[in-house]
Amino acid sequence: MAPERVAVRDRAAFLRRADHRLLRVAALAGLLMLWEALTRIGFIPALFLPSPLGVLRELGEMTASGQLMVHVAASLRRLVLGFAAGALAGVIVGIATGFFSRAEAVGQPLIAATFPIPKIALLPLLILWLGIGEPSKVAVIALGVFFPMAINTYAGVREADPLLVRAAVAFGAGRWSVIRKVILPSALPMIFAGLKLGAGTALLLLVAAEMIAADSGIGFLVLHAGNIMDTTKLMVGIVCLSLLGVLSHWMLARFERLAVPWRHT
Amino acid sequence: MRRRSAFALVAGALLLWAGVSPVGADPAVKIGALKLTSSAPLFIGVDKGFFKEYGIDPELVFFQAAAPIATALATGQIDVGATGITAALYNIVLGGEQIWLVADKGREWPGYPLTGIVVQKDQYDGGLRAIADLRGKRIGITTLGSTFHYSLGNILEKSGLKLEDVRVVPLQTMPAAIEALKGKQVDAILLPQPFPGTAEAQGFGKILFWAGDLHPWQTVAVFYSKKFAADRKRAVAFMKGYVKASRYYYDAVLIQKDGRPAPGANYDEVVRITAKYTEARPEVIRLGFSFQDRNARLLVTDIERQMKWWADNGFMKRTIPLKGIVDTSFVEEAAKAVPEK
Amino acid sequence: MRVIVDRLSKSYRDRSGQDLVALDGIGLTVEPEEFVAILGPSGCGKSTLLNIIAGLLPATSGDVVFEGERRPGQPLTATVFQEFALFPWRTARANVEFGLEELGLPPAERKERSARFIAMTGLEGFESRFPHQLSGGMRQRVGIARALAVDPAVLLMDEPFSALDAQTRTLMMEELLGIWERARTSILYVTHNIQEAVYMADRVVVLSRRPGRVLEVVPVELKRPRHEGQLGESAFLLAAERIWGLIKSQAQAALVEGKS
Repeated sequence: MAPERVAVRDRAAFLRRADHRLLRVAALAGLLMLWEALTRIGFIPALFLPSPLGVLRELGEMTASGQLMVHVAASLRRLVLGFAAGALAGVIVGIATGFFSRAEAVGQPLIAATFPIPKIALLPLLILWLGIGEPSKVAVIALGVFFPMAINTYAGVREADPLLVRAAVAFGAGRWSVIRKVILPSALPMIFAGLKLGAGTALLLLVAAEMIAADSGIGFLVLHAGNIMDTTKLMVGIVCLSLLGVLSHWMLARFERLAVPWRHT
Repeated sequence: MRRRSAFALVAGALLLWAGVSPVGADPAVKIGALKLTSSAPLFIGVDKGFFKEYGIDPELVFFQAAAPIATALATGQIDVGATGITAALYNIVLGGEQIWLVADKGREWPGYPLTGIVVQKDQYDGGLRAIADLRGKRIGITTLGSTFHYSLGNILEKSGLKLEDVRVVPLQTMPAAIEALKGKQVDAILLPQPFPGTAEAQGFGKILFWAGDLHPWQTVAVFYSKKFAADRKRAVAFMKGYVKASRYYYDAVLIQKDGRPAPGANYDEVVRITAKYTEARPEVIRLGFSFQDRNARLLVTDIERQMKWWADNGFMKRTIPLKGIVDTSFVEEAAKAVPEK
Repeated sequence: MRVIVDRLSKSYRDRSGQDLVALDGIGLTVEPEEFVAILGPSGCGKSTLLNIIAGLLPATSGDVVFEGERRPGQPLTATVFQEFALFPWRTARANVEFGLEELGLPPAERKERSARFIAMTGLEGFESRFPHQLSGGMRQRVGIARALAVDPAVLLMDEPFSALDAQTRTLMMEELLGIWERARTSILYVTHNIQEAVYMADRVVVLSRRPGRVLEVVPVELKRPRHEGQLGESAFLLAAERIWGLIKSQAQAALVEGKS
């Protein structure tokens, strides 16, 4: 056996993942350019898929005329109100069922039974009860947000570190102090997870509600543009919805980084 | 000798048959329509074989709403469409897909009750009697951009009001609109027969006016797809059958006696045929037959007026030159060719 | 204050319905300003004992009584936990102030007190950091500051340095002694480390395996203030040997049984 001399090779190189920043941007830009080109040469009929530049132009016109702002404002108002109401109710119920065993015994079965109902299906009922105005729209959004919030908050409360609860009691905290100072902050990560889930549901329900008896809002805009076959306006509406979704997600992420700093460094 | 002559006889007969039979050689003409009374002339044409007379094999394709008919025409999935003239149709042409307005199939017309302005009973009792009284009220229609929307807008303008002076509430479907009136969630609605009749009969509504009495206009039309219009021979042949059916229809249900439409020749037959295809009850059908020109000619000037109104109200970016959307040559040729019995 | 533990017993019902005796008739006393260590093999119930004294667990029988003078509003005990138990969403200072909040002290007083103990535990400059931004040793200093800040009659410490590495542990022990010299509360210090117990305490209460009983209370005859040099002194070695002799067989049996 002859003595060897072997240099060490990097065997884990294939596991490392790079960011590919440039590729990300290029891919998106490339897709848009391809789309624009196909519409220009007529391969894609403009009626069925308007060109990106056309959509952009329409977006500019609608913003300049103030028309878009009216719809965006209406949608935002409903979204914010419904989201706030549903989130608040959800957190309270989640804390109650998580912390108090009696509340859990009453609340859990109710939530488990009603949660699977698709909230869109409740919309006609809500319109019957609350009319075709704002209340029914805000209500359906609130309902859609309530469930993920209640369930996630409950989980967050149950997950609270018993050591921390014990420490709080050891320093003199009573029931309400424990809830306020230990359980709630503990549950914040789960609460934010619920908020993100709720945001997606809220947007979906907003559009559904606006498609059934509204005269303003982005969902209404999409429906209306579809009804009169103005596909460019339709795309503007879709782009707005997409932006709204992205924006709300980004805002929630920022807000979470501020409110839950101990989980992010 | 016998066998050769027998063979010649059969061969000859076969050749004759192949050369002479027109029906079965061409594909069927797909006609998109709604199961409404207003499609009666088409049902007559199909049922009484008027299309077959001119060598056309008709195939009725029923839709649930007007909008899909428009898109089916644009994509060539149907050859002929019979549907309301809406902003959507104009926008399809503006968007680059060619379809042609070729014949009349229904108008809001004075003396012929079709679309009614029905107000909530309480509102009526409270004094809502004139169009001007609709200021600030909630008015239910199916969708924005619909024929009802157009009627409402023009009727308001004739009384000095604008669309912004009322609250237009889109309710998506006709049953939803009736429910909204019943539940007092709107103060008035615009719907075609039999809904106004039902609302009055059930006591929650009161018919204020008929849209046709206040603002007559070319509401429903026959459309040709781009491909079908290019097939001149068959396009004219179809129109011949349609003009014949149109005259039959007019003589049966649209003749006026003492200022009101009264049953004419073959009235009951027309009702029966309509009931057969729409699956609606005859009593309901009798309530509303829409007016159309006896020879199915379009009210062409009104088309221009419509486009201008839609454009002024922001539903269209600009108007279309008439020759880019209307083609009356088919109906003119057919009207001249079809004999009056 | 003096702490008197009198015939304290604690039993649990386990999953199969059997009665498990964790503590059996524990009796001990902690005199004012005394540093007492509780030592025993794994599973001897020393943490359970501490929790009962802290009022976090009920005893099955027997009592724990505090005797003597107490300042108005002064809490009986405060605890320092092995796993630090700091609130991750609170800064170091806010953690230190937690007990003061629960005592109902006004903000100005809380600020003053927390500042004092932050200085005492060498945390100056780190008050605004969150626990996840502090090293293990610093975190436990926050734990100690938090407990001292409420000025308890007795300070309870449950293996406070087990979660730290050996070097940090040694340094922290020195620091604790220094702080104690200044603060002079009674301390009840639970540990499984004989060296630690002897070095820090005035007396060492040695517990047996489950069910936990007091085997012996071993006094430590070392002068204060304690220093590293004493690690070689006969008083140190004698006490340590005595204790090891008491628990050696216990520890071996525990190892074999696999229960802890």
